[in-house]
Amino acid sequence: MSSSSQSLELLFTFLSRSYATLETNFFKLPGSAVVARYVKSSHQNDPGRTLLEVILIIFAIRTLLQSRTRGDQSGKHFIQFDEKEIDELVDEWTPEPLAQPLTPEEQADLASVPVIVGPTGPKPKLASGKTVINLASYNFTGLAGNEEIKASAVETLRKYGLGSCGPPGFYGTQDVHIQLEQDIADFLGTEASILYSQAFATISSVIPAFCKRGDVIVADRGVNFAIQKGLQISRCTVRWYDHNDMESLEHVLESVEKERKKRRGPLTRRFIVTEGIFDHDGAMSDLPKLVELKKKYKYRLILDESISFGSVGRTGRGLTELYNVPASEVDMLVGSIATSLASAGGFCAGSHIVVNHQRINGTSFVFSASMPAALTVAASEGINILRNTPSILSALQENIRAVRAILDRADCITIPSHPASATIHLQVRWPTLQVPMHTSSSSSPSKPSNPLNVKPRDAEQFNIELEEKLLQDIVEEALAQGVMITRAKRLRGQELVEARPSIRLAITSALSRKDCEKAATVVKAAFAKVIGKRR
Amino acid sequence: MPSRPSPIAFQSASPTQSMFKKKSASGLSTAASYLNAVSAADARARTRSSAASSTASTPALSMSSSATSSSEDTVLDEREDFTDGLSYPRTPPTSSQVFTTVHSEFGHCANDDYRYTSRHRAGTPYKSYPEQDPPYYILLTTYISYILVICLGHLRDFVGKRFRAANYRHLLPWNGYAALNSDFDSFYTRRLKLRIDDCFSHPVTGVPGRTIMLLDRYSPDYNKTMVPTGTRTRALNISSYNYLGFAQGNGPCADAVETSIERYGVSAGGSRLECGTLDLHHQAEALVSRFLGVEDALISSMGFATNSNIIPGLVSKGCLVISDELNHASIRYGVRLSGANVRMFKHNDMKALEELLREVISQGQPKTHRPWKKILLIVEGLFSMEGTLANLPVIMELKKKYKFYLFVDEAHSIGAMGPNGRGVTDYFGIDPRSVDILMGTFTKSFGAAGGYIAGSKAVIERLRLQGHSFTYAESMTPPVLTQVIASMASIMGITMPTEKPHSSSSLALLRSSSSDVASAMSEADIIPGTAPASALPSWMPLAQPMIDGSDGRLRLSRLAFNSRYLNRGLRKLGFITYGSDDSPVVPLLLFNPGKMAVFSRMMRTRQTPIVVVVVAYPATPLVTSRVRFCLSAAHTKEDIDMVLRACDEIGDYLDLKQGPGERWPVEEVISRAVEIVRAPEMAC
Ligand SMILES: Cc1ncc(COP(=O)(O)O)c(C=O)c1O
Repeated sequence: MSSSSQSLELLFTFLSRSYATLETNFFKLPGSAVVARYVKSSHQNDPGRTLLEVILIIFAIRTLLQSRTRGDQSGKHFIQFDEKEIDELVDEWTPEPLAQPLTPEEQADLASVPVIVGPTGPKPKLASGKTVINLASYNFTGLAGNEEIKASAVETLRKYGLGSCGPPGFYGTQDVHIQLEQDIADFLGTEASILYSQAFATISSVIPAFCKRGDVIVADRGVNFAIQKGLQISRCTVRWYDHNDMESLEHVLESVEKERKKRRGPLTRRFIVTEGIFDHDGAMSDLPKLVELKKKYKYRLILDESISFGSVGRTGRGLTELYNVPASEVDMLVGSIATSLASAGGFCAGSHIVVNHQRINGTSFVFSASMPAALTVAASEGINILRNTPSILSALQENIRAVRAILDRADCITIPSHPASATIHLQVRWPTLQVPMHTSSSSSPSKPSNPLNVKPRDAEQFNIELEEKLLQDIVEEALAQGVMITRAKRLRGQELVEARPSIRLAITSALSRKDCEKAATVVKAAFAKVIGKRR
Repeated sequence: MPSRPSPIAFQSASPTQSMFKKKSASGLSTAASYLNAVSAADARARTRSSAASSTASTPALSMSSSATSSSEDTVLDEREDFTDGLSYPRTPPTSSQVFTTVHSEFGHCANDDYRYTSRHRAGTPYKSYPEQDPPYYILLTTYISYILVICLGHLRDFVGKRFRAANYRHLLPWNGYAALNSDFDSFYTRRLKLRIDDCFSHPVTGVPGRTIMLLDRYSPDYNKTMVPTGTRTRALNISSYNYLGFAQGNGPCADAVETSIERYGVSAGGSRLECGTLDLHHQAEALVSRFLGVEDALISSMGFATNSNIIPGLVSKGCLVISDELNHASIRYGVRLSGANVRMFKHNDMKALEELLREVISQGQPKTHRPWKKILLIVEGLFSMEGTLANLPVIMELKKKYKFYLFVDEAHSIGAMGPNGRGVTDYFGIDPRSVDILMGTFTKSFGAAGGYIAGSKAVIERLRLQGHSFTYAESMTPPVLTQVIASMASIMGITMPTEKPHSSSSLALLRSSSSDVASAMSEADIIPGTAPASALPSWMPLAQPMIDGSDGRLRLSRLAFNSRYLNRGLRKLGFITYGSDDSPVVPLLLFNPGKMAVFSRMMRTRQTPIVVVVVAYPATPLVTSRVRFCLSAAHTKEDIDMVLRACDEIGDYLDLKQGPGERWPVEEVISRAVEIVRAPEMAC
C-alpha cells in the first residue's frame, strides 16, 4: 500500500516538474505570453470553445497538409491597385464574344445532317421525303424497332413511368437496373457490372474513378475522345504507344518499368487503356496479346468495347468471345448499350470490387439520375434476343463481308478497319504521285516514337480540310442515290491526335445481303465519281 | 426493413391517429375505388362535352389533374396492397370531385385553398433564410463522433490488415499490383459510409411518384451485403426529384410516350451529327426554346453530360470561370475539362463575388496579367443540397457592371420555380434572354432524362458544333423526347389552330404536319409562350387539361403550396432548415452523423413509412449533415401533415429542434397551414 502511494508520489513530482520546465520554456518563446493570455481569457468565457478551437486547429492543419496545389492566387504576382484604378480597369475590359458565329462552311456542315422522319432503322424516311438505305446509324444487331422490345418497353412504362427521378444512391436504383446489370454480367461472364446513363459519359468516369495523380496509364495513341477526356480528368501520368502496335506497347511497358526502377519509386497503380474496335478507324486490338502483356508487366486492363460489344463474337459478346478470352481477364470492360442493344447508356463490367468502387467514385454514376426503366428493360430484352439468336451475328458478319468484298477492291478507297469490324472506315486513297502535302518520310523507321508525346514520330500527313470536303461530296452523292452514310464526325482541334478523315459505315444485320451489296456499290461509285473527277 | 428492424430502428409509439388511418384505409379501399371509378366515368363524359370550347374554364372542383381522353379505370387496377394507408385517400371524394390519377402516383387533392404561386415579391431583396449555427454541444459531439469513427476505422484497418489479410487484399499491394483503392475515399466508404449504408441505394420498383415501392432488404453482416427479403413496402416518397409529379405510369404523358414507342421504337441510333437526328429532336428543341422564351436550344441525352460536355465548348484556356463553391459535380467536371482557370466564391455571397470580380478583372491572367478573354459566371438556379436560390437580381446588376457572361444551371429550378414554371428567371421576373446560357435537366420536373442548353442562336449553334455531345454522344431516345415534349406542352398549354376542334380525341387530325415547326415558332415573342399545336408531333394524343393548361397550372400551384408549407412548417416546429421558403428542396439540418442513420430508419419504419434522403460529407460540409426533402406536386396536404408529424416526433427524440424563434405545436401548424403559407413574411 505504502509502496504504491510512494511511487505515485514520485510520479506526481515528476509530472509537476516536467510541467514547470515546459512552462518556463514556453514563455521563453517570443509572443507566447499573448497566446497564453488569449487562451486563458477565451477559456474563461467559454470552456467549450477552447476544446472546439483545438479541434478546429487540428482540422485546419490537416486540411492544409492535404490540400492540393491550387492555381497561384495573389502571391508574388499580385499587383496592388486602388479602387479607382480597378474601376478604370473594369471599364476598359471588353470580353470576347461568348461564341463566334458560325462560318458559312460550318453552317453548311450543320445543315447537311440528314433528319430522319419517323423511326430510325435499316430503311428510314428522311425529311426530304426520300426513303434510304441506312449505313450510318448504329444498329448492328438490327434491334431498333424490334416488336418484342417495344412491347416490353411499353409494359415497363406503364409500371414505372418514364424517368427514374433520382440518382442511384437516392431511390433511383430500380429492380430493372439491378436486373440489367446482372444480365450484362452474366452475358459477358464477369462478376458484376454497373450502368451509366450515357455511353459517352461512361469511360470518362471509369478512368478517373481508379486512376489518380501519380498512377501510370499506358494508352494507345488512337483512343477515342471519351477516353482522352477520362485521361485528362484523372491527371495521372500517361505514356503512349503506337496505334494498335503490340511491339510498341511492350516497348513502352518496358521503359516505364525501367524508369520506375531507376527512380525507385513506390509501387503505383498501372493501367493499359485501349479499345476493342477503335472508334477512329475500326482497327481491332489483339486481345490475347494485350492480356499476356498486362499479366507479364502487372498492369490492369481498361478495355473500351463500345463498338465491339454486340458486333463481334458468335453471339455478340465482343472481343472476349471472338478471341475466347475469359472476360474476367479484362479488369474493366466498358461497353455501350446504345449501339448494339438499341437503347441508351453504357456499362462497365468487372469484379465486384471494381464495380462497387464505382458506385461511390464514378462521378457520372453518382451524380446523375439512373436510366429510364423502359430503356433498361429494352436492353435486357435485347440481350435475351442476342443470346437466343446467334443468326443475328452471323447475318451481320455476312453483310460485313459482302460490303467489304465490294469496297476492298475499289482503287480510290483505303480501309484501315479490321475485316470483322461492323464499322467500316473509308479513307481517300490518293494515287501515289498526287498525295497533297505528303512529305515522304526518310527518317529511319526503326526509331520508336516518344512515349511522353501523344503525337507519333512519323505522323501520317494529310490535308484535313480537303479530304473532309471530298468525303462530304461523296456522302451527298450517295444520299442522292438513296444510301445514307456519314463522315466520321470529329472535333477538329480538340482531339489529341487528328485522325485521318473518313466515312464511317455502320453495317446492320437488319438489311438483306442484297441491299448491302447494292449500297456498297453506290458508295463505291460515289467515291469513283468524286475522286475521279479530281484526277 | 419492417421484417427485421435494425438495432436502432424505432417503432414509433403509434398515435391513435395512424391507428385509425390504418383501419379505415382498409375499410375504405373498396368504397373509395368504387367512388373513384364512378366519378371517373362521369368525368370522361364531362371532359368530352367541355372539350368543345378549349378555353372554357374547368369547374373549380373538377380540377382533374390529368384527365386522359382514353383513360381506363386506372383506379381499379391490380394494385394488391390496400392497407398501407397510402394507396387511397383518407377522405373519399364526393361525387362532384373527379380524379383521374392514381392516388399513389399523384395524390388526390381537391381543396383549392391548398394552392399557391411561386413568385418573388417584387421590390424586396432576395435573401435566403439565414444559416444558423447549432449550439456548441452539437458541434462538439459532431466532431467527436467523426473523430471516434475515424479512429475506430483506422484501428480496425490496422488490425484487419495484419490478421485477416485475405479480406483486405484489394487494399494492399499484392502480387506486384498496387492496391486498386487504398486512399481516403476508400477509407471513408468502408469505415464511415458502410455503417449507415442501409440508408442509401435502397432498391425500389414502380413509379417514383407520390409514393414509392421499396424492395425490402436486410443485412446479415453489418451492411457488407444486402439480402432482399422478397417483400415490398409502399412508402411516402419525399425523395425523388419529381417536382411537378410527371413521374406517372398513367395519364396523358404516358399515353403519348406509349404511342411514340409504338411508332419509333426505343432507339435513335447514333450521335446527333452522325445521322442520329430525328424529327422529334428538332421538335423538342424548338419547344424548349419556346418554353424558356429564348432564341434557340439544344438537348443532350444526359443531364450530367450536358454540363460536362458543353462547358468545354464555351470556355477554354485564357478564359476564367467563376463558380459558386457549392456547384454540382457535373459543372466542376466540365470546367476541369475546358482548361479554363477557375475561381470559386463563397456560396451565394454577392459581396465576395463582387470583390472577386474586381480582383480578377484588374489582375488579369495569372503571371502574364493579360486581360481575360472572357469570364463566365456559373451558378445553379436552385442549389440541390441547400434549397437556396441564386441571387439573380444582384447578379444581373453585377453583370451589367462587370461584363461577365452568365451560365445558370436550372437542373432543379426549371419547372419547379416561378409562377409559370419557367425557373428562377420567372421567379424573379427577369427576362430570360438577359441570361447568356440557361441550362437545365429533364430528369427532375419533367420526369424524363437528359438536359438542355438554351440561349441566343449564335451561341447554341456554335455549341452544337463545338460541344462534345452532338459529335460523340448518343442522341436522346424517342420515348424520352416524347415525355419531354408532352410534359412541357402540358405546363405551357397548347394553342390549337383557329378552326374549332370538335373533340379532344380527334384533334390530332386537325394539326398540320410537323415540318413547319419553324414558322409556327416565329410568333414566339410572348413570354411565357404556349405550345403551338403545329409544333407538336401530329400523332401525339392530347388531353383537354393539357390543352387549356389547367393540368400545368394545377401542378405548379400545388407544388408551390407544398414547398412553402413544409419549409415554414418545419421552421415553426423549431427545426433548422436552409434555403428559400419557396424552394421545393428542403434541407433539414441534423449535424450529427449518427442522427442521419437513425432519422432515416425511424422514418422508414413508421406505421406509414416515409423515405428520405440523408446526405453528409463529402456532399455537404463536414458538420452540416442533413436530411433533404424533395417536394412534389403529387403530394397532398395530408402527406405534408404526415411528414410534419413524423419530423416533430423524431425531432424531439433526436433533439433536433435547435432553431430560434417562436415555436408552435405540430397540430397548430397543421390547422393553420393556409395562413402560414400565405403570410408574406414569416416572423422568426
Ligand atoms: C445542378 C445539377 N446539374 C446537373 C445534374 C445532372 O442531371 P442528370 O441527373 O439529369 O444527369 C444535376 C443532378 O443531380 C444537378 O443537380
